[in-house]
Amino acid sequence: MNETESAIDKGEVEGKVEGKVEGIAKGDLLVILRHSPHGSSWLREGLDAALVAAAFGQQVSLLFAGDGVLALMPHQQAGALGQKGTHGVIDMLAMYDIETLLVDAHALTSRGLSAEDLMLPVSVVEGDALPKLLDRHPLVLNF
Amino acid sequence: MILHLLNRSPATGGTVDDALAAMGPDDRLLLIEDGVLGALPAQVARFTGLTGRLFALREDLAARGLLERCEEQANIVDVDGFVTLTEEADKTVSWS
Repeated sequence: MNETESAIDKGEVEGKVEGKVEGIAKGDLLVILRHSPHGSSWLREGLDAALVAAAFGQQVSLLFAGDGVLALMPHQQAGALGQKGTHGVIDMLAMYDIETLLVDAHALTSRGLSAEDLMLPVSVVEGDALPKLLDRHPLVLNF
Repeated sequence: MILHLLNRSPATGGTVDDALAAMGPDDRLLLIEDGVLGALPAQVARFTGLTGRLFALREDLAARGLLERCEEQANIVDVDGFVTLTEEADKTVSWS
């Protein structure tokens, strides 16, 4: 098994432990992503902030909420004018040890999506767990 | 206790719903910039669960000519009050 595979496996295992045993993920930094790819630079900037924090050794959790869930759609591609999009960054998250990927349940259902539609394994967060999630991270950045 | 800052008008867009969904039972909400439109009588019903925990920034209300139209349910604070609210909170979370 190469390093990438083991990192992904680890992420899945930890996601399950957090989802079932403790219920709520915790970490140093929670980055909330609420904007879709391509439409603005919000999503890219949020992901950049997460990567920088992770590169400095912070334990980063990502929460995809609102249109931010679209960041996890498979088969994304560059825009018509060659704009890069953000799917490349999503692929890199495991390399940066960002393994706590959380998705707001309401954001999925209101867009007719489910966790199985997404390009990576995620933990789905129900609405009543959101305040606790913010509480369990000393720093929250909102994009 | 988290101080949530909302700078988007609750009358347009869903940012206010994202903020409310993430607020805990003790958290406070301070309306700033275009967020102060939430203190108007027509909008303030969104915040009924936040009695005593809803604030609006005086300077931003005044700049928009809304100071006298503000609903009592929103506690009006000036920038010094903003600082105090920040001091009293464990952290702040901005919603834009």
